[in-house]
Amino acid sequence: MSSMNEDRNLVNRAILGEKEAFEMIIQKYQQPLLNYIGRMVGERELALDFTQEVFIKIYSSLRSYKPQFKFSTWLYRIASNTIIDYWRKKKIDAFSMDGQRNQEKDLPPIQIQANEQPLARKFEISQLREKIERALDRIPGPLREVFIWRHINELSYEEIAEIKGLPTGTVKNRVFQAKEMIRSMLEEKP
Amino acid sequence: MKCLTIEQIYLYIEKELSPSENKNVESHLKVCSKCQKALEERRLLSQAAESLHLWEIPPDFTQQVMARIFPSKVSLPAWLGTLATGFASMVVCFFILTLVTGQNLRSLLLSFTEAVFDFIKYLIPLFVKVLKLSSVLVTIAQRFAEFLLKGLTVLTSIISTEVQIIIISTTIILIVSSIYFLRRKLLFGEKT
Repeated sequence: MSSMNEDRNLVNRAILGEKEAFEMIIQKYQQPLLNYIGRMVGERELALDFTQEVFIKIYSSLRSYKPQFKFSTWLYRIASNTIIDYWRKKKIDAFSMDGQRNQEKDLPPIQIQANEQPLARKFEISQLREKIERALDRIPGPLREVFIWRHINELSYEEIAEIKGLPTGTVKNRVFQAKEMIRSMLEEKP
Repeated sequence: MKCLTIEQIYLYIEKELSPSENKNVESHLKVCSKCQKALEERRLLSQAAESLHLWEIPPDFTQQVMARIFPSKVSLPAWLGTLATGFASMVVCFFILTLVTGQNLRSLLLSFTEAVFDFIKYLIPLFVKVLKLSSVLVTIAQRFAEFLLKGLTVLTSIISTEVQIIIISTTIILIVSSIYFLRRKLLFGEKT
């Protein structure tokens, strides 16, 4: 059974009141969801609370899930909206899309800089991972989000586009921007 | 051919280019060391990004979520449970007795009530005796307290105020230090 059909089956069973089916959904998605939420909010306890909250929201709105869409897409959309609401309530600007939208309108192709420093010589891969984690905290929310989905949760550009309701090209652009932003932060002297 | 854009490099790494675009990029990479270097850099970054650590899930996380979604039903108060168990045991006892003795339930209930009344009949004189004994004990304690008070009054009239203060302070210090040492000993006992 494909993952998509398996998810539909679990959702149907959960709607009919089978607790074990929803338990299996939690077990399947808790890790990718925590990886995403954790990096979006930064604190472990808060991330665990949010992940629980998202699962509760999912359970209470299971009947509104439309089986023609991927379950994971629907789940990530709920998670993303929960985080956006949190940022709004806290009046944190990290998720503000205004500046980002303006950038996307006329984004020129990113060119290779003539004076690029070779990263490979500067860091080992494990060091690089640590630096990326730190840099990830500093990039804007919309870029961080797509970067996590693409590189940590290994979603396709099409899936991310469906979650966010954006054109695939825009999603690709955001992922590349996120990477270039991280790269330029790695160049900064500590 | 112009140098590659960063987008082209990333799309090339992720195998997202069309076959003709892919061919163009590869032929440019063969002749441009600057783009080769840029490609290697982005490839390294992508590799590191794809192997970032996973956030650890607490072992009881699923149960925690399930408990929040399906909270368990409120249990009956403990006293009600005890009462129900007692009643159920009595019913079972009566049933066994009717089987063993061959008597019907009515006669069994009558014998049980008689037995309970007999027990209460013996219990009342015992209860009266206990009450009497307690009143005697209270009188003794009262007299002892009066005697102590008189003794203290006599003592305070004999001893000067300074000596009284010294005695009271020494007593307080002794009590406090004995409590402290006793507590320490108990705590030490706990650790070992």
